Amino acid sequence: MSSWLAEASAIFAKDWRAEARNLYALNTLGLFAVTTLVLVSVGLGPMGVTAAGAQVLPFLLWIVLLFATSAGLPRAFVQEEETHTATALRLAARPSAVFWGKLAFSLSLTWALEALVAPLFLAMVQLSVKSPGLFVVGLVAGGFGLAAASTVIAAIIAQTRAGSTLFAVLSFPILIPLLLLVVELTRNAVDGATADVVLRQLLLYDGSVAVAGAMLFPAIWNP
Amino acid sequence: MTETLSAPTSTHPSAPWWKTLLAWLLWLWITVVLVGAFTYAPPAKGFVNLYSSRILFFHVPMAWVSFVAFISAGVWSLLFLTRGRRQRHDLAAAVAVELGLIFCILATLTGSVWSRIEWGAFWNWDPRQTSIVLAMVFYAAYLVLRSAIEDDQARARLSASYALLGLVVAPFLYFVLPRISFSLHPAPVVNQSGQVDMESRMLQVLLGGAVGFTALFFWLHDTALRLRLLAARNDDRR
Amino acid sequence: MPATTAPLPVLHFRDVRRRFGRLSVLRGVSGRVASGEVLLVTGPNGSGKSTLLRCLAGLLAPDDGDIDYREAMPDAAPLSAAERRLRVGYVAPDLALYEELTAAENLLFFARLRGVPVELGAILLDRLSLPPDRAVGALSSGMRQKLRWAWALLHRPRLLLLDEPFQNLDGAGEAVVRELLEEHLADGLAVLAQPVDVEPSASWKVAEHVELAG
Repeated sequence: MSSWLAEASAIFAKDWRAEARNLYALNTLGLFAVTTLVLVSVGLGPMGVTAAGAQVLPFLLWIVLLFATSAGLPRAFVQEEETHTATALRLAARPSAVFWGKLAFSLSLTWALEALVAPLFLAMVQLSVKSPGLFVVGLVAGGFGLAAASTVIAAIIAQTRAGSTLFAVLSFPILIPLLLLVVELTRNAVDGATADVVLRQLLLYDGSVAVAGAMLFPAIWNP
Repeated sequence: MTETLSAPTSTHPSAPWWKTLLAWLLWLWITVVLVGAFTYAPPAKGFVNLYSSRILFFHVPMAWVSFVAFISAGVWSLLFLTRGRRQRHDLAAAVAVELGLIFCILATLTGSVWSRIEWGAFWNWDPRQTSIVLAMVFYAAYLVLRSAIEDDQARARLSASYALLGLVVAPFLYFVLPRISFSLHPAPVVNQSGQVDMESRMLQVLLGGAVGFTALFFWLHDTALRLRLLAARNDDRR
Repeated sequence: MPATTAPLPVLHFRDVRRRFGRLSVLRGVSGRVASGEVLLVTGPNGSGKSTLLRCLAGLLAPDDGDIDYREAMPDAAPLSAAERRLRVGYVAPDLALYEELTAAENLLFFARLRGVPVELGAILLDRLSLPPDRAVGALSSGMRQKLRWAWALLHRPRLLLLDEPFQNLDGAGEAVVRELLEEHLADGLAVLAQPVDVEPSASWKVAEHVELAG
């Protein structure tokens, strides 16, 4: 019997190998994000926003990321169920390996997306960040929360008839606390303020969702 | 296989005596609270309309009950997943969410009516209003999830998992929301002259209301659950 | 009974029931099959053959009844559904492998998951005359069926659950998989679900023939 870690790594590697063949997830995420970014930029106009209006910009960034991940991440599970490969996976891998392997895959997609979107966003809305370190920490931690929650909910909706529409309905209530925390953190990063309390709560959210997800996953994935 | 029903000993099958007694007590209690809300408790001075404060005796307990409903749905869901996947626990969670949604809606309506009278606007997005809306959204999402799954076993375990995920995430709202906007909600201590300690008669009615509405919730829950179980057993027989 | 150190796989299921909504698909099915034997399950479409096999594989939880599968000594505990899932070999029409990957890559992935030597995949592909480097999406239905067999046998399971295992196979293909089944039956057991008109091989020892009504 192989170790849990070896199984999870195999699943992570398999997902990327399959992704490399058609780039479907990356294209979906990227296209969705860029389109929304353009929309935001056009909406704000050529002069951008006033200093007072700049308060809303961190929120817009995370809305773009939220929409893009909602479009692209559920596929990790929905596709397995739709193409009937999930049966083979259920019979060959331990549930914990499936959870962490899929989470790692979603996480890498999310961070890759952020690496594309964040610089583009800052340039398009002409926003300068006073604490770039904290800004990146926010992206990393916020991205983790997005990926973790999305992994659990994708696993749930993949087994319903409804699919992706249901994903948005179910993930919105779960992601609200994350969104509020990470927007506040990002805002602090832009303003150059400290954000110890917020960061701690954000990391706690990430940890809680990951642990709860890992504990609930066997009941979600298996009958 | 046909079942022969044994002849009933009376024309109506009766509930255990203590349940009947509790139900009568509940209705008595609620009646007392209702009367007390309009007569016993004094009006709160310092409010726009002296009499509008009476709505609080309903609004606060109902908001409290929607919180109770949320917790109990989580508990039933946990019991389902860890105590042998019993149908009873699954249906109990679903009923708790449905009732919770109703109480949420009522709390929101009474809250916005009072908000209009007191501050001139139906809605302000202060933290408590926001959290009750989020609770409603979560309940609705849970019910939508249930409606999207045909198989009983899958529906039960998936919705139980979602409910527990919601329970894990909810406390973060409690920490975050108060920070991001000021609160219009009065601190829960208003008295006749609008000062800090709640006047004792108002407090009595308020707490009485909280107890009464909570008991009402559990009574409704018990009845609705029994109905669901009977319906499910009826389905099984076909 | 003589003491033996070799594990004796035995599958015994009693009164298995499964409903989907109001539709009662399995209404109390029982059967028993031991090492070296084949249990045949037949019945018209919709009679619950696939449902029964899914329950046996641990992919579906029955509403009622008992599934007892043990690979160890007779008085050892039966495997849980989770353990059964990882142990069985399962061939079914609705089981698919990853279309973007080649047959070899698929088997390599599953070999890693199961912790078995990666060469076993290549050996099975060769035995079944499957092109290792063609994407699964480009395989014919007969080849996919043979690939399902390769996947099922990769980890040398003791219990094979076969749902319409010969569909889409030509004469040569069917001959090879029957050979593989016989080799498996040397120390394993199998449950085979089929519509009525498939010939059991002469060499099979049929433990029971469970007929499901529609």
